[in-house]
Amino acid sequence: MKLLQMEHICKSFDGVPVLKDVSFSVERGEVHALLGENGAGKSTLMNVLTGIYPKDSGTVEFEGLNCEHMTIRQSEKMGIAFVHQELNLFNDLKVYENIFLAKEYTDQFGRLNKKRMRKEAKELFERLGVEIDPDAMAGDLRTSQKQLLEIAKALFFHAKLLILDEPTTSLNNEEVAHFFEIIRRLKKEGASFIFISHKMPEIFALSDRYTVFRNGTYVGSGKIAETTPEEVTKMMVGEKYSAEDVYEPREAGDTVLEVKGLSGAGFRDVNLTVRRGQIIGLTGLQGAGSSEFMQGLFGAVRGTEGEIRVFGQNIPRNSIHKAMKSKVAMLASNRKENSVLADLSLLENMYLAEHTLSALKFHIHKKEEDRKFTSYRELLNIKMQDSSQPVTSLSGGNQQKVFLARWLNTEAEILLLDNPTQGIDVGAKEEIYKLILELAGKGKTILINTLEIPEIQKVADYCAVFYEGSIVKLLEHKEISEEAVMLYATGSAQ
Amino acid sequence: MDMKTKKLSLSGRGGIVSKYSYIVVFLIIFAVYALTSSSLTWSGVMNIFRHSAIIGIIALGMGLICLTGEIDLSVGSMLAMVSGFSVVVYNMTGSIFAAFLFAVAFGGICGLVNGILVGGARMPAFIVTLATMLIFRSVSQYVCQWLPKDLIGGGSSIYKLFTKNESFQAFYQIGNGKLATLPYVGLVLALMTVLFVYLSTSTKYGKKIYAVGSNQKGAKMAGINVPLMKISVFVIAGMLVGLGAFLWIAMNASTDPATTGTSYEMYAIAAVVLGGISMSGGRGKALGILFGAMSYTIIDKIIVALKMDSLINDAIKGVILLAVIMVQLAGPKIKGRLKRQEDGGKPKTAGE
Repeated sequence: MKLLQMEHICKSFDGVPVLKDVSFSVERGEVHALLGENGAGKSTLMNVLTGIYPKDSGTVEFEGLNCEHMTIRQSEKMGIAFVHQELNLFNDLKVYENIFLAKEYTDQFGRLNKKRMRKEAKELFERLGVEIDPDAMAGDLRTSQKQLLEIAKALFFHAKLLILDEPTTSLNNEEVAHFFEIIRRLKKEGASFIFISHKMPEIFALSDRYTVFRNGTYVGSGKIAETTPEEVTKMMVGEKYSAEDVYEPREAGDTVLEVKGLSGAGFRDVNLTVRRGQIIGLTGLQGAGSSEFMQGLFGAVRGTEGEIRVFGQNIPRNSIHKAMKSKVAMLASNRKENSVLADLSLLENMYLAEHTLSALKFHIHKKEEDRKFTSYRELLNIKMQDSSQPVTSLSGGNQQKVFLARWLNTEAEILLLDNPTQGIDVGAKEEIYKLILELAGKGKTILINTLEIPEIQKVADYCAVFYEGSIVKLLEHKEISEEAVMLYATGSAQ
Repeated sequence: MDMKTKKLSLSGRGGIVSKYSYIVVFLIIFAVYALTSSSLTWSGVMNIFRHSAIIGIIALGMGLICLTGEIDLSVGSMLAMVSGFSVVVYNMTGSIFAAFLFAVAFGGICGLVNGILVGGARMPAFIVTLATMLIFRSVSQYVCQWLPKDLIGGGSSIYKLFTKNESFQAFYQIGNGKLATLPYVGLVLALMTVLFVYLSTSTKYGKKIYAVGSNQKGAKMAGINVPLMKISVFVIAGMLVGLGAFLWIAMNASTDPATTGTSYEMYAIAAVVLGGISMSGGRGKALGILFGAMSYTIIDKIIVALKMDSLINDAIKGVILLAVIMVQLAGPKIKGRLKRQEDGGKPKTAGE
């Protein structure tokens, strides 16, 4: 008997179908990868499963029980745990308080039995092989620890099926390995997992079976051992996918960006010279300083020493506005935190950066803005209905394109892209790579910070590898490979 | 991906009803007024306009501050202090223009103090403006006691305009005169509202205010100088209080530092909330503030018309505020539930 069997599930929002007659099943003790682009219907299906949305039609059976009207509470009780992409921890509470929240042990007078909670939390962490202090504040944990804490929380209450929604997004490679080890062990103990991810290597390393959705329909499923990443990707994106090598060498122009001895919070003594039209990849392990360096260039992270020269002009550190005036732009990472203005429309979100540069021209010409928006919409292939709709109504990939448009609209010459494909589906990623190459072809200079080396391999002329806050190696395009980068990123070769 | 785009609906968060709830509230209150007052006259309506002027102007500034997610509790005391000192300036110079300039500039400076502490020093606005509220009120009362009698118009604890000044009649006329049945002060409110609706909807500055209130970090990363934006809204709010103070003395020819503007911060906040502006910032419309402020003035009139004890005034205003907020919050939810039952269990919001 299967652990979970969902059949002929349909679901629509305001008349728009999001799931069309979808079926999905999970066996006991397996890791099942649920694959599909953003908007394919994965999260909606998981929300139906956990009772966040009611389904329109279809059947859900869990452990042989028919669940006609699932509620959040009921799904929790039955042993289904949803580990969300955005972590639902309370940063101002201690670790053990987070675990036992609303399920605290008390004595007959209603007083908390802290000792027992601490003890059991500790035992749980030991069993998982996780090093977390039950008395630490949740806010002080590293992201990877938070992720593990979420899982520990689910396990403590005997979850049988855990839904992991892109759990590795903010983990470094070492943490991912440790994380996977724990999952494998739990699997042996009988737990099942639904694993949602966009990272093929991880999917193939961890999963037993897979199911692919596209545009709200079921495309296929099978054993991971019997397929290849290329095949699965094709299933996900349909016809449009091409794994072709899009890179072409370009002629580099004059030097446009010179960094000399730049130090600041998280990076030190970074030297870098970039020429017009080049694409430079920055990478390193999480916390090696490549992201901080990029933010330091833009003035978003405090720089303490060193020089930044743009088009031969010194620009002051620590001023985003001055950097923007010197035609530097940064597409920030963590879209939700750093880019999205949830209360504002698409158009307003896109135009914000330009507004800060032309603040003295007080009046907004709506028609002109709409016209320009339309041109970016066509250039970037943004899927949307109306420029007045809220930006949060778009999928991650389309949101990211809006923010790319925000910066292109400032007529910046140097684009700093910090993790530009974070949480974006394969199709949109592919589009963004192409766009990056196109922009470089038009003479824009581009720096990309990412932990995903294949991305750098695809587009970058050079790859700067960070280790402990500094660039330890500059690899040329043909030298870039996962092995070479890791060699320097882990400090194995100096 | 297209499937994910939310359809614009009448009852959603941005739906027509909740968007313009302030007009609905205003119309209901106005209807009650029309029914209770024995004779609904044009001049009666114009009186509402006149009496809404000062609170309305102050509330416009409060609205800007609230849009950035901050708050200003000091506006009432600031009104007392600025109006008092402006009286002194008028009595010294005999110039209406000097009094006006001083009022706006001094208001702006008071706002600057709040703004620097909140935006620059990153202190919580609630605490900062609570402190300046105490300071402004106390200073205006203290100074009044120690000033030479002739500077405050001969009174003891009240700032009075010097009636013997040549320009006094003209000054008084600003506060009490009419342009073809339209009171001047009401016109000032209308003008300011138009200005602020324009500022908030059609200028880059306005969009930046919304951006700061919506996501401070995001605004910063788009190159907005967040501290400066905060300072600027406090300064603008202070200048509006200054304008209000000028109108106050023009209307009353005097100002009592102990009572002028007491509770005005609360009325202004209430008008802002009635007007549909979110206290956490980023959402709402400046036009709503005008209706919010006028709704409150009408409540005063209703109580007078019904010959009720005026002490019940605030209780009624409070209840109405609660009721409106409840409707604003619960309305869309109730509608959503009704709609869901109609089309068989579909929730409102879409999302992958």
